[in-house]
Amino acid sequence: MKLCDLFEKGKFVVTGEAAPPKGTNTAKMLSEAAPLKDMVDAVNITDNQSAVVKMGSLAASRCLKDNGIEPVYQLTCRDRNRLAIQSDLLSAAALGIENVLCLTGDHVSLGDHPHAKAVYDLDSVQLLKIASGLNHGKDSSGNELDGSTDFCLGAVVSPCTEPVEMQVIKLEKKIEAGACFIQTQAVYDTRLLEDFMNRLARRNITVPVMVGIVFIKSASMANYMNKNVAGIEVPETIIKEFENTPGDGLKAKSLEITIGLVNAYKDMCQGIHFMPLGWTDMVPEVLKSTGLRP
Amino acid sequence: MIGTVWKPEEEILGALQNAKNIFVVGCGGCAKVARSGGQLEVDKMVKLLESNGKNIIAAGVPERTCYIQFVRTFFDPKMSELKECDAVLVLGCGGAVQVVRQATEEYGLVKHVYSGLNSVGHMDTIVPGEYFLEQCSECGDCVLNLTGAICPVTKCSKGLLNGPCGGSKDGKCEVDPERDCAWVLIYERLKALGQLENVSTYWEPKDYSKAARPRKLVF
Ligand code: SF4
Ligand code: SF4
Repeated sequence: MKLCDLFEKGKFVVTGEAAPPKGTNTAKMLSEAAPLKDMVDAVNITDNQSAVVKMGSLAASRCLKDNGIEPVYQLTCRDRNRLAIQSDLLSAAALGIENVLCLTGDHVSLGDHPHAKAVYDLDSVQLLKIASGLNHGKDSSGNELDGSTDFCLGAVVSPCTEPVEMQVIKLEKKIEAGACFIQTQAVYDTRLLEDFMNRLARRNITVPVMVGIVFIKSASMANYMNKNVAGIEVPETIIKEFENTPGDGLKAKSLEITIGLVNAYKDMCQGIHFMPLGWTDMVPEVLKSTGLRP
Repeated sequence: MIGTVWKPEEEILGALQNAKNIFVVGCGGCAKVARSGGQLEVDKMVKLLESNGKNIIAAGVPERTCYIQFVRTFFDPKMSELKECDAVLVLGCGGAVQVVRQATEEYGLVKHVYSGLNSVGHMDTIVPGEYFLEQCSECGDCVLNLTGAICPVTKCSKGLLNGPCGGSKDGKCEVDPERDCAWVLIYERLKALGQLENVSTYWEPKDYSKAARPRKLVF
């Protein structure tokens, strides 16, 4: 099922996220994804996230589909040139993948193979444009395809990364290049999200936006993200709440905070993207408590 | 200029392990400025090799070691030393090493030519004598006219053309928190110049055939 079809029907779309295994054993990925089945509309499968070598996101996406969960195949520009990217997209179509999220990709220097050559033959806007071209039956050199793709293409944006104006300029280019839904980096500040959405409205950007939320597990994790993860700003008030919570109450606190955020965001956007980092079992509770799912 | 730094001593000595009589050649161009192959560094290398049991047959610094005519002028009066040595050690960029090899071949000699330096990029002098920075990677299709004279191909770690990744934090690059994000710099400069529209339109993927190696200039 393509996410854009759901948006078109006016559905508030919810997605989750799972990481492919470091190895060939898919059991953990599938058991993590299991609580999301029938609760979310699709599950993102990350592509060598943080530049750490994992099972390919295409194979893992197909694996998820075989288990009855709709994947969003994440594809980055870090590891492949334009030949490999187009070839992977054609393979994805052959394997029945319908949703593709196009990203730049974290730099190799941040991962577990820092001596690798980073590719970046394309950037994320060019990747979207080329994927749109495949949807229209042409490769990036303009050659005819024998059978075109029919992907629903998504793009990402980081509402907290300054200068926001430059983020929005790039987002406009992504939409122009064919993105039909937007997924944001995690946001923890309602005011900031409101400003961002107003900014999009002023520029007449009407493509559906799914706001990202990473489940915060502790004060130290929040501090870590603030220091090390670009585009994530967890406010002091939330960190304080976690600091004042005993260890056995952290998951309940995370649930409470997440429910609060979803309730605050749900009228401002067209969907939510959860990044549970293993706590997928929390997603159904969040969805029920916020009335997003029965 | 071409930035160069000394290879680790063990690596240099390892390359020279079977050579006793060494001819050391520096470079009076870039390697001199980079403090890796001028007269001072050639003298230092001579001492190092001597203290490791090598016999230095000759040592000197051509005006520019990547120019074949300067290398010929340098070697012509030293032909007997060149013939006699077991190996030539060049303190110059990788190009200089190959031009020295070319010269020995022109003289009909089969000589080991080794490099004492690693070449680390095209460097601009930002603070004379102190700070050199790679700002151009000679992509063959310059975009500086559209970016306020700041190169995204070289100064952005991912060489992005359509704007920043989401990775910059406090204006710094995700790859190195000490370094400015090139796209933040480009944004601020274009905004100040009133030229933000330059980056508001789609930029095609780069034509890497213009950077296909080896490139040449022929007149
Ligand atoms: S775009 Fe950058 S790398 Fe290319 S020629 Fe211009 S300065 Fe050099
Ligand atoms: S943070 Fe800036 S300079 Fe670094 S890779 Fe991203 S866009 Fe390029």
